Amino acid sequence: MAGLELLSDQGYRVDGRRAGELRKIQARMGVFAQADGSAYIEQGNTKALAVVYGPHEIRGSRARALPDRALVNCQYSSATFSTGERKRRPHGDRKSCEMGLQLRQTFEAAILTQLHPRSQIDIYVQADGGTYAACVNAATLAVLDAGIPMRDFVCACSAGFVDGTALADLSHVEEAAGGPQLALALLPASGQIALLEMDARLHEDHLERVLEAAAQAARDVHTLLDRVVRQHVREASILLGD
Amino acid sequence: MLQKREKVLLLRTFQGRTLRIVREHYLRPCVPCHSPLCPQPAACSHDGKLLSSDVTHYVIPDWKVVQDYLEILEFPELKGIIFMQTACQAVQHQRGRRQYNKLRNLLKDARHDCILFANEFQQCCYLPRERGESMEKWQTRSIYNAAVWYYHHCQDRMPIVMVTEDEEAIQQYGSETEGVFVITFKNYLDNFWPDLKAAHELCDSILQSRRERENESQESHGKEYPEHLPLEVLEAGIKSGRYIQGILNVNKHRAQIEAFVRLQGASSKDSDLVSDILIHGMKARNRSIHGDVVVVELLPKNEWKGRTVALCENDCDDKASGESPSEPMPTGRVVGILQKNWRDYVVTFPSKEEVQSQGKNAQKILVTPWDYRIPKIRISTQQAETLQDFRVVVRIDSWESTSVYPNGHFVRVLGRIGDLEGEIATILVENSISVIPFSEAQMCEMPVNTPESPWKVSPEEEQKRKDLRKSHLVFSIDPKGCEDVDDTLSVRTLNNGNLELGVHIADVTHFVAPNSYIDIEARTRATTYYLADRRYDMLPSVLSADLCSLLGGVDRYAVSIMWELDKASYEIKKVWYGRTIIRSAYKLFYEAAQELLDGNLSVVDDIPEFKDLDEKSRQAKLEELVWAIGKLTDIARHVRAKRDGCGALELEGVEVCVQLDDKKNIHDLIPKQPLEVHETVAECMILANHWVAKKIWESFPHQALLRQHPPPHQEFFSELRECAKAKGFFIDTRSNKTLADSLDNANDPHDPIVNRLLRSMATQAMSNALYFSTGSCAEEEFHHYGLALDKYTHFTSPIRRYSDIVVHRLLMAAISKDKKMEIKGNLFSNKDLEELCRHINNRNQLCFLQAAQHSQKQSTELFQCMYFKDKDPATEERCISDGVIYSIRTNGVLLFIPRFGIKGAAYLKNKDGLVISCGPDSCSEWKPGSLQRFQNKITSTTTDGESVTFHLFDHVTVRISIQASRCHSDTIRLEIISNKPYKIPNTELIHQSSPLLKSELVKEVTKSVEEAQLAQEVKVNIIQEEYQEYRQTKGRSLYTLLEEIRDLALLDVSNNYGI
Repeated sequence: MAGLELLSDQGYRVDGRRAGELRKIQARMGVFAQADGSAYIEQGNTKALAVVYGPHEIRGSRARALPDRALVNCQYSSATFSTGERKRRPHGDRKSCEMGLQLRQTFEAAILTQLHPRSQIDIYVQADGGTYAACVNAATLAVLDAGIPMRDFVCACSAGFVDGTALADLSHVEEAAGGPQLALALLPASGQIALLEMDARLHEDHLERVLEAAAQAARDVHTLLDRVVRQHVREASILLGD
Repeated sequence: MLQKREKVLLLRTFQGRTLRIVREHYLRPCVPCHSPLCPQPAACSHDGKLLSSDVTHYVIPDWKVVQDYLEILEFPELKGIIFMQTACQAVQHQRGRRQYNKLRNLLKDARHDCILFANEFQQCCYLPRERGESMEKWQTRSIYNAAVWYYHHCQDRMPIVMVTEDEEAIQQYGSETEGVFVITFKNYLDNFWPDLKAAHELCDSILQSRRERENESQESHGKEYPEHLPLEVLEAGIKSGRYIQGILNVNKHRAQIEAFVRLQGASSKDSDLVSDILIHGMKARNRSIHGDVVVVELLPKNEWKGRTVALCENDCDDKASGESPSEPMPTGRVVGILQKNWRDYVVTFPSKEEVQSQGKNAQKILVTPWDYRIPKIRISTQQAETLQDFRVVVRIDSWESTSVYPNGHFVRVLGRIGDLEGEIATILVENSISVIPFSEAQMCEMPVNTPESPWKVSPEEEQKRKDLRKSHLVFSIDPKGCEDVDDTLSVRTLNNGNLELGVHIADVTHFVAPNSYIDIEARTRATTYYLADRRYDMLPSVLSADLCSLLGGVDRYAVSIMWELDKASYEIKKVWYGRTIIRSAYKLFYEAAQELLDGNLSVVDDIPEFKDLDEKSRQAKLEELVWAIGKLTDIARHVRAKRDGCGALELEGVEVCVQLDDKKNIHDLIPKQPLEVHETVAECMILANHWVAKKIWESFPHQALLRQHPPPHQEFFSELRECAKAKGFFIDTRSNKTLADSLDNANDPHDPIVNRLLRSMATQAMSNALYFSTGSCAEEEFHHYGLALDKYTHFTSPIRRYSDIVVHRLLMAAISKDKKMEIKGNLFSNKDLEELCRHINNRNQLCFLQAAQHSQKQSTELFQCMYFKDKDPATEERCISDGVIYSIRTNGVLLFIPRFGIKGAAYLKNKDGLVISCGPDSCSEWKPGSLQRFQNKITSTTTDGESVTFHLFDHVTVRISIQASRCHSDTIRLEIISNKPYKIPNTELIHQSSPLLKSELVKEVTKSVEEAQLAQEVKVNIIQEEYQEYRQTKGRSLYTLLEEIRDLALLDVSNNYGI
């Protein structure tokens, strides 16, 4: 990707955004009736679908049950047709497992698991050309839809660093270019970080700026998700004939 | 944030080979239009440059025009150019990074009136590509649509001309919108710029070469060269270690056969190759040109070749290769070129006879570049006959695998062959130096200082600065007649008995605001260029020779560093940095300062400041000054000793000064005399530079500009060690300390030149000193090897070096940071600084541009040649001189001539195969015979049994003559005429060794030159002094090492040449 200019001299990115601008986000809650909670999110071309079951009794091995809190079980799979080359297995490969683990860590930090001891919450996420950020945002909406109590929204966003400028919300092209990439999941109200992950090397002097860009973007995501949730609640209450 | 997201999401699909990629594309209502006519400047939020408002029309080149005629669009006369993003992207994709960067720099350059309009991100300008529409059609349509929008955006107030090469587009759009005209580029030039002759010529030449290329591609030749591999293969190959990446360096003396690839950064670390890779022959070089970044594949070991050790003239082709080459070294062939570093080349057309012999197609002509390392270039022109006697600039367009020579086109004429102006212009072009006079806009920023409105110290500045005018005795020591004095010194005793040493540097940054026009210009020039008889200033003369020059007796702004030193041990107790106002009391020149130091007070009459004083105050002032110079020397000795303790190197340089006689002919070449006071001043400057480096690094650990000098590679020292062994010395090269010590010990009491030669060899082994940004390098790499300092920078010559200006700004920012004040203006970030460092290094140094230094060397050679040209070698006594052998080759020896500072080759075997022999009277003759080369001697045996042996460091007598060349610069030729040292006739001896006579000579010459000056307006004497000061030695890397010590560290070990 030698010739690709990720940030032009005029300050535009490849797709026409400026450095701090997010991709277009569209989201919907309650897309599946049979699940306890579900949500669909589109961030640019990345589409993620999340479903939540629970809290319910532990399924399978009872030994996994935790005495003081609920078990959060996360599974991630990506559609076989979602990436440049067609994948053989939709889930169960290393990358999906890693993503599942990360999601689990994130949501254990956000869900008030101690309210549901000895029970299990299942989050299944499916994403096209998935990124961690889209998955988290979709899952947040799905968990909210399921009515599971949380400390706060979990909003995630990625950020990169090109030519001394931090770029918020990387697109696929920008990710593929191979620069440093930082994924951040934030609890916006308290400003606590649920998960922070970074690929490639970045000088520590720049870390703060990239982190700030990601956090700002996550707060922007929060405003959007909040609006989606309110819209959903309004619709639901109309349906209930309030 | 939120509002900005109100964009329509559009999916744009590219039909790839097998793969369909969907990319997002965001549009926005407001894209900066950079036009002063913009109706809603707030919404467009312009930052950066605007188009100027005084143009009659805007011109929008379409994608094809931008690709093909960018050189013409670069003309500063063409104004109001709007580059559409679509066109720029087409350049990026189809013409590669080099051309695109050229375009980017054009857009960044504040002096060019052109802007980029991001039409593809504008809501109304963006047109999706339709099904089945070709890329070219879509690009043209987009650009036209954007042009129409732009016209309406400016409320129809400015007509727009879109230039295109597409006839269909002209038909289709030509009369569609009123106010937006669509015409061809040729048409545009004819109608709007009928007077711009240069542009027309360039346009014709580009058109013709393109036509040629088209014709050629239709004819199918046999392939002369293998095709280059595609980029992906190359990159993968480099990663896997199969191929090696490096910069191609053609051997100047065997341009046809030998080239070397110097390994670059990453790849050299992985592989265990230490030396360069040899590329043997033009076939293996595969169309790469000197300076290109190439990818090389190593040949199997049994095909490895050695480099030729025999001397070889440029014009003789493969003759020398029959002789035994040295040990085989890694040999490879070029498989691809990563980056072409083609530039403008100076060429000469073949003379009339040659043209005729070239035969059938008179339009295609092979021209010979001035630089030996560049292959002949084929250009098509009808002007061949008229251009015969001129030096001409051409540009290479392409080099197809089917063609033996590259294709190029003619750009402009420089001057007649052999004419001094033309030759100097040649040197400038060859080193990519442009010397346009300062523009009006730049001069407008300059302060005024005329007799009517003299420049004064402003009261605000007076308050902010420390006033040293009354309290300190400030003086400068410079070469005689120097105009740009940028450093002054002071020393005094404080009340507590301690000493205070002050270095005061001209405050250039006060006058040159960051990113002003003059700043941009200075950054591009990066340094003042000193050629043998002229100089090209970095800053306009109102600054360099007047307001920033710390002349005697006038108030000037300065940036000062003052150290408090212990009275006895000279330990540094305290240091103060800051802005000051000074008034230099004396403007001394070196010779006078030295006389004062030696206690010879008779020179007082030469110092103008003392002239109008009465005897008593004169005596008092003189004592004060002598005390100050003495103290300064003391301190400098002390500091120097400390540095020597850490292993500072003292290296050898040969300084020659050109003397011109009254007719501006070169009168004599005189070696320069070193003085202790030179060293004193240099030491103070090194001290100042060192402390500033420490300061700015502490304040800005990641964005300070420092200067490093990496330790040399040990293997480069092998030649030095061998040579020293021949004389029975041992050179320990393990560290700079041991090297310095063993060089001091390697002194032959009978022959001082041995030591000088050893030192100059040591210098050649050194790496280059470089500017760098501290953010890009680990701290242990900051070390300066030559000066033995842990941190070093350039601070003391802001008038002639841009790096010093940057350092000044950093120092000022560091001071305000200490005072907790806000830092004014933006400092360079690490990345920008790195880029700047690279630029300055290129300008200064021995990367392939080598501009400043190389041009100096070439111009000196030019003068040397002109000096010897007029002399008849047979009769003129000066053309015969003493020479020392410093290296041995299979068919000759390399000689050093201390008298003139010339290094060159002399053959022991001539072209007819005859070898040299010396009879009993030691005069040499050519006789049939053979040569035998040993480690440190060479023996020539004639068929009749006589033999003569030359050892390393033998003295011989040589005759110097000139070998004229039509296409290239003239070269100096040496011929051994006797194997005995040259006996200098008595008259000359007196003439040479008597300093009195010499200084008279200098005076005489200077006086006569002053007369010539009136007529010429070129201040030759000053320049000559400058030249003497900055003129560097012939050793290549010597300059870079020694430039920090500037004029002074170039110490001659012996003053008695020729004895």
